[in-house]
Amino acid sequence: MASSPRTGRSSAALTAVVIGIVAIIAVIVVVTGADVMGAGGRVLTGLFPPQAVTDRGAKIRDLYDIVFGLAAVVFLLVEGLIIWTVIRYRRRPDQVDLPPQTHGNAIAEIVWTIIPTLIVGFMFVVSWQTLNTVDAISAEPQTKIRAVAGQFQWQFEYLPADYDPQADPPAKPVYTQLAPTGDDGGLVLPAGRSIQLYLYSPDVIHAFYVPQFLFKRDVVPGRLNTFEFTVDAKDAGGTFRGQCAELCGAGHRVMLFDVHALSGADFDAWLKQKVAQASASPPPPSGQPAPSGQPSGTPAPSGQPAGPALQVSALNIAFEQSTLQAPADTPFKIEFDNKDASVPHNVAIHEGGPTGPEVFKGEVVTGPTKTTYDVPALKAGTYGFVCSVHPNMTGTLTVQ
Amino acid sequence: MATTALHPAAPTYRSTLYEWITTTDHKRIGIMYLINSFLFFFIGGVLALGVRAELAQPGLQYFQDLTYNELFTMHATFMIFLFIIPVLAGFGNYIVPLHIGAPDVAFPRINALSLWMLPLAGMLLLLSFVTGGSAAAGWTSYSPLAQDRPLGATGPGQDLWIVAIVLIGTSSILGAVNFLVTIFKMRAPGMTLFRMPIMVWTVLVTSVLVLLATPVITSALIMLFIDRNYGGSFFDPANGGDAILYQNIFWFYSHPAVYIMVLPAMGMISEILPVFSRKPLFGYKAFVLATAGIGALGFSVWAHHMFTTGAVYLPFFSLMTALIGVPTGVKMFNWIFTMWRGQLRLSTPLLFALGFLSMFLIGGINGVFSAAVPVDFALHDTYWVVAHLHYVLFGGSVFGVMAGLHYWFPKMTGRMLNETVGKIQFVLMFVGFNLTFFPMHELGLAGMPRRIADYASTAGWNDLNLLATIGGFTIAASMIPLLWNIFVSLRSGKPAGDDPWEGNTLEWATSSPPPPYNFDHLPEIRSERPVFDMRHGFGGHEPTPAPAIASSAEH
Repeated sequence: MASSPRTGRSSAALTAVVIGIVAIIAVIVVVTGADVMGAGGRVLTGLFPPQAVTDRGAKIRDLYDIVFGLAAVVFLLVEGLIIWTVIRYRRRPDQVDLPPQTHGNAIAEIVWTIIPTLIVGFMFVVSWQTLNTVDAISAEPQTKIRAVAGQFQWQFEYLPADYDPQADPPAKPVYTQLAPTGDDGGLVLPAGRSIQLYLYSPDVIHAFYVPQFLFKRDVVPGRLNTFEFTVDAKDAGGTFRGQCAELCGAGHRVMLFDVHALSGADFDAWLKQKVAQASASPPPPSGQPAPSGQPSGTPAPSGQPAGPALQVSALNIAFEQSTLQAPADTPFKIEFDNKDASVPHNVAIHEGGPTGPEVFKGEVVTGPTKTTYDVPALKAGTYGFVCSVHPNMTGTLTVQ
Repeated sequence: MATTALHPAAPTYRSTLYEWITTTDHKRIGIMYLINSFLFFFIGGVLALGVRAELAQPGLQYFQDLTYNELFTMHATFMIFLFIIPVLAGFGNYIVPLHIGAPDVAFPRINALSLWMLPLAGMLLLLSFVTGGSAAAGWTSYSPLAQDRPLGATGPGQDLWIVAIVLIGTSSILGAVNFLVTIFKMRAPGMTLFRMPIMVWTVLVTSVLVLLATPVITSALIMLFIDRNYGGSFFDPANGGDAILYQNIFWFYSHPAVYIMVLPAMGMISEILPVFSRKPLFGYKAFVLATAGIGALGFSVWAHHMFTTGAVYLPFFSLMTALIGVPTGVKMFNWIFTMWRGQLRLSTPLLFALGFLSMFLIGGINGVFSAAVPVDFALHDTYWVVAHLHYVLFGGSVFGVMAGLHYWFPKMTGRMLNETVGKIQFVLMFVGFNLTFFPMHELGLAGMPRRIADYASTAGWNDLNLLATIGGFTIAASMIPLLWNIFVSLRSGKPAGDDPWEGNTLEWATSSPPPPYNFDHLPEIRSERPVFDMRHGFGGHEPTPAPAIASSAEH
C-alpha cells in the first residue's frame, strides 16, 4: 500500500473483511445445521443469570437487569457508532485533499465526561441500595448453620438457636451433615425461613457459591464470614447445585455440594430425625441381612473377585473401582494405590453404606503412593468404602 | 543544515549475535524485548490450548488435576509477566526515544540489564516444570494455598515463581526509571510535554504506576517467600498471619498492573488512529488528562478483586471502580471522533486498532457489571471474569500489540508486511477471539467457576465449552499467518521507505530502520505532529526557515 495513491483498495479491503466474516459465520451455520433463530434466543437468555431462588438473589437479579439494560444501550450505541464511522468515513479513491483537521471540542469533551459520570453514578447508587439489602444481617435469624469448607469437602453443622459465633467455646451443633452431595446429603434448608450461614475454613480459602442464589462468599481461614438469606417458599422441594468458587488446590473442582430446600415442616421433621439418629448410639451392625445376590450392575473391571488382596486405586479424586467383593469372616488386605499427586486419600469401610458407622479406617496417604491395609474379618453384608478426606469418593463393598 | 552523522555506513541489522547480545542500542533492545515476549506468548498460548483441550468435553481427558492447575497458573504468569508487560515495554523502548527525538534512552546499560533479566526469569519459570512441578496456586498465589504445606504448594515451583516475579518486577522498575528520565530529560528542542505523542504520555503514566506499585508486590512476594521457607507468619492464619492482608498487598500492585498492561496499548492505538484517519487525535489534552486520571484512580480500586472476601469496605471501592469507567469512556469517544469525518485507510494496523476499540469496549462494559457489588457476588470467580479479563487484556492489549506490530514493523525492519496475509490473520484472530471468550460470559452466569479441570456433563456447559475450545484453536491458527508474514517479509518484503504510512511523529522522519543514534537531523517540532507539519505545512502558513537541529552526539 505505502503512500501510493489509493485506488479503491480500502473499500476492497473492507469488503474482503466483511465477506470473510459472513462466510465464516455461514460455514458455521451450515456445518452445525444450527437453528439460527433458536440459537439467537438461547444466546440472549444465556446473558442472564439463572432464576434466583432466594430473596437476596432476586434483588441481585433485579440489579443485574438494570445494569444489563444500561450496558446494552451503551454497547449498542458505541459499537454502532464505531461501525458506522468506519463504513461512512472509509477512504474513497478520489480523496486526495486532507479532511478537516479537527483538534477537539471542549463542549463535546464535557458532555462525554458528564454523561458517563451520571450513568455510573446512578449505577453506584442503585447497587449500593441493593448491597444494603443483600448484606443485611438480622439479630434473630430462624435458622443458624455453619458451613465448614476444608480441602476438599463441605460439611454443614446445624446449630442451636442460641448459637453465638463469638462465644468461646461456641455451642455445639445439634447435627452435622457430613455428606455434601446426594439425596441424603448436602445443605438442607427450610424454605421461607431466614437462614444465617457462618463460614469456616480450617485450611485454605474456599468460597461458598450457589449459582441460583446469585451469591458467593469466601470462606477465609482465620476469619468469620456470615451472611443471611431466605429461600423462597415456592422453591420448597427444589435441589440446587453448589460448588467451591475459590481455587483451593488439586481437588478444587470436586468440592461440590447440593442444596435441598424443604418446606418448614418437612425441614423440622428431617432435622428431628437426624438428631435422633445421631444421638442414638451407633445403630446395630448391618441393618441389612446377607446380600441377596451380586450387587447390581456388572462387576468393576479391576475389582478382584473374593481373594486375599483387593486392588483399590484413586485417581482424580475418585476411586477407580465402584464395587469390591471380599470373603466373609476372613481378614483380608487392600492394596491401595493413590495416584493423585499431592492429594491425600485413604480407604475407610462403613457398615451398611458410605455414611454408616465406620468399621475400618486406613491410614491417609498422600499420592502418588501405594500402601497395603490389613482389614479385620467382616461379617457378611453390604458395606460402603469411602475416602475419609473426600466423602464423595465412595464405592460398595460386598462381603459374602 | 549542519548535521552530524554518526557511523553513516554501519550496517544496522546484519550484525553478529555477539553485537546483539552486548548492544545498548534501545532499538535492538526493544526488538529483543519483542522477540522474548512473543516467545513466551507462544509458550503461554500452548498452555492455554491445554486448558481449552481439557475443558472441551466433560471428563478428564488429558491432564490430572494438579497438572491442570499448573497449566492455567503458568499460562497467566507467562502472558502477564513475560508477554504483555514486557512487549509493551519493548515497544516503548523502541519507539519512545524516536518519538521524542532522542538518540537513545537515558541509561542504555541499565536498559540492557532490564532486558536480560526477563529471559532469566523465564528460564526459572520453565525450570520449575522439570523440578517437581511449577507453581499451581493460580497467578495470584493466594495464601494459604501458596504456603508450603501438605495439599498446598510443596515443591520448589512456587519458590521459583516468586523469585522469577521479583526479578521481572526489578526489571520493570529499572525500565520505568529509564523511561521517566528519558522522557523528562532527553526530549528534542521544541518537544514540549504537550507536544509529545500520546504513546509517550501513556508510557510516562505507566512508568509512574510501575514505580509506585511494583515495590509493593515485591514486598508481598518476599514476605510469602519468608513464610514458605523460614517460618514467617505474615500471611498464614495457621501461624497467626492474615490471608486477606496478602490479597490487599497483591492487588495494590496487580490492579494498577492492569493499566500497566493496557495504557501503552491505548497509546499505540492513539498513534495509529490519527495516521490512518488523516486527522489529528481528537481532544489531545483531554486524552492526556484521562490517561493521568486512569493512572491515579487505578490506585484506589484494588479491592474490587476482593468483594466476596467479606473484608472490604464495599461502597468506596464500588464507587471508585465505577468512576474509572469515566476517563476510559472519554478516551473511547476521543478515538471515535478522531475517525469521525476522516478518511479511513483500512490497512492491517487500523483493522487491529478497530479490533481493539470494539473489543475493549466490551471489556469495559462487562467490567462495570462487577463494579455493582451485588452483581459481583454472582459473577466473581466464574467464567464471566475470565471473559472480562480477556476482553481487556486480549481484546484490548493483544489487539493493540498486533496493531503496533503491523504499524512499526516497516520502521523496525525496513520491510512492509504483506497486507493480505495480515488481514487473514486479523479475521482469524477476531473471530477466534470472540468464539473463545464471548461464550464464557454465559458459562459464568450459568455458574461455572474458574480454575476447574472438569465439570459434570449434566451441568449444561458442554456446548459453550466446546465452542470456546474451537475458538481457542482458531486463535492459535491465526498465529500461522503472522509468523509466515514476518518470515517472508523479512526475506523479501516490499521495501518500506522512511514513511510508508504518512505518519505524524518523528520516527517517520528518519530512515527505516533508523541509524544508530536515530536521527541525522530532526524536523522542526511545532506541534504533536512534526512530520505531518513537514509534509503539509504549518496549518496553511509556511514556517519560517529555521536551522535543523543536529543530533546529539554527546552520548
